[in-house]
Amino acid sequence: MRLMVLPALAGLFLLAGAAEAAEPPPGASSCTGCHAPMKVADTVIPRIAGRKASDIVQFMREYRSGAWPSSVMGRIAKGFDDAQINAIAAWFAAQPE
Amino acid sequence: MATRRTFLKLGVAAGLAPALAPSIASAQGAGRVVVVGGGFGGATAARTLKALEPRLAVTLVEPNATYTACPFSNNVLANLRSIDRQQFGYDGVTKAGVTVAQRSATAIDASAKSVTLSDGSTLAYDRLVLSPGIDFDWNAIPGYGEAAAQIMPHAWKAGAQTVLLRQQLQSMDDGGVVVIAAPANPYRCPPGPYERASLIAYWLKIWKPKSKLLILDSKDAFSKQRLFQNAWAQLYPGMIDWVPLSKGGKVTSVDPSTLTLVTDFGRHKAAVANVIPPQKAGAIAHQAGVADRTGWCPVEPVAFESTLQPGIHVLGDAAIMGAMPKSAFAANAQAKVCAAAIVDLLAGRKPQDPILINTCYSLVAADYGISVAGVYRPDKGVLADVPGAGGVSPLEVVGGFRGQEALYASSWFRTITAEVYG
Repeated sequence: MRLMVLPALAGLFLLAGAAEAAEPPPGASSCTGCHAPMKVADTVIPRIAGRKASDIVQFMREYRSGAWPSSVMGRIAKGFDDAQINAIAAWFAAQPE
Repeated sequence: MATRRTFLKLGVAAGLAPALAPSIASAQGAGRVVVVGGGFGGATAARTLKALEPRLAVTLVEPNATYTACPFSNNVLANLRSIDRQQFGYDGVTKAGVTVAQRSATAIDASAKSVTLSDGSTLAYDRLVLSPGIDFDWNAIPGYGEAAAQIMPHAWKAGAQTVLLRQQLQSMDDGGVVVIAAPANPYRCPPGPYERASLIAYWLKIWKPKSKLLILDSKDAFSKQRLFQNAWAQLYPGMIDWVPLSKGGKVTSVDPSTLTLVTDFGRHKAAVANVIPPQKAGAIAHQAGVADRTGWCPVEPVAFESTLQPGIHVLGDAAIMGAMPKSAFAANAQAKVCAAAIVDLLAGRKPQDPILINTCYSLVAADYGISVAGVYRPDKGVLADVPGAGGVSPLEVVGGFRGQEALYASSWFRTITAEVYG
């Protein structure tokens, strides 16, 4: 059920932001500086394109709360609320793996 | 969410509305965008524009056939890396559908919306993106001009200067003093001078262990300061001496003929002198009329359009980006936001209020990394920190935390250079 709800939330958010669907939601385009949109050799940073939205949401929430240890991701996740995280997760989930 | 809506309203009220009128370009379904400067900001902007709107005609103006990246260039000084691993061509940018004009931009006419190139040709644009990086203020330190930089290198634009500084370090006698003169804020890469001091100390400790390193600073505090200073005490005890502004750190003149740096409190004779002078936006930004009295370029915080010249967007180190530091990561993030906003503006749509992230890693040793991160969004006309987010690596860590951040640093460099130039 959660998986079905997320894209709907993302859609609402995009409408609220008056942006076109193809454009990444606020915050998402910064992620690809580290999380490569293409396959990159010899990196320890995981790709997130094509990952399940529910997995991305869970990681971001646990980084934000500190439940899952991290270096920079906890500090970054604290800058996003649930709706923003849901929109970013839905967008990356829709990108080619 | 109430605050978010408020920001959206503020964005409209702040003067974006006039730009929303559909342009001739949108009537044609596309438009012409010229991007000046092929660094992390400009190359990212050009590629992202083309990816988001393939019908756009995008031209990247960059005089050099290869770009030499500054991030990780301090590793070159410490012989951890060769300079060619810092260098990237524009084949990937061309394959992405961008026209690369290997010329300098010599003049910009904001009212005629045209860019003049070094061969005398002109490029017309609907929107212009300037990502010119930095130029040095050669009048700031008496004695330190372009000729002096061949003796006391700045190495703050990577390339020949980086190689020169490394050669000087390698030919220095053991027991010499390496002096780094660090500028006041703002300047490119706030933690850069201290990463440089760290990695030079790392190399000296192995190869020239009787040598010392002196940082003469024009400010009293610096990025990741406690992390750096704790690491210096642990890894390089007694090797690095940092002199802040309040203790006479500001270099007031230099004498290249004797490798001497002068402060209000004394004279320092160097074996190797690395003078990082004060900086300003690249020359073309001044010519275009988008730089203000500070030497940098004020922009609005949604599409990074100049507040001085409509139709010209400014990115990266040259721009005044509020709380965002001047870093390659920031320039790349700003470029992606700017490109999306330009596509919207050309199509007569209102750009969304952005959120941007910055992450900067510094290496204190080959396998010891520290970081600072921040999240930013428009607030009262500038990019401001999102409260509660961001910050630096913890002061106390367990296990392999510093080693892991060093791995993240090199992974980031491979990822971002693949995204921008691959």
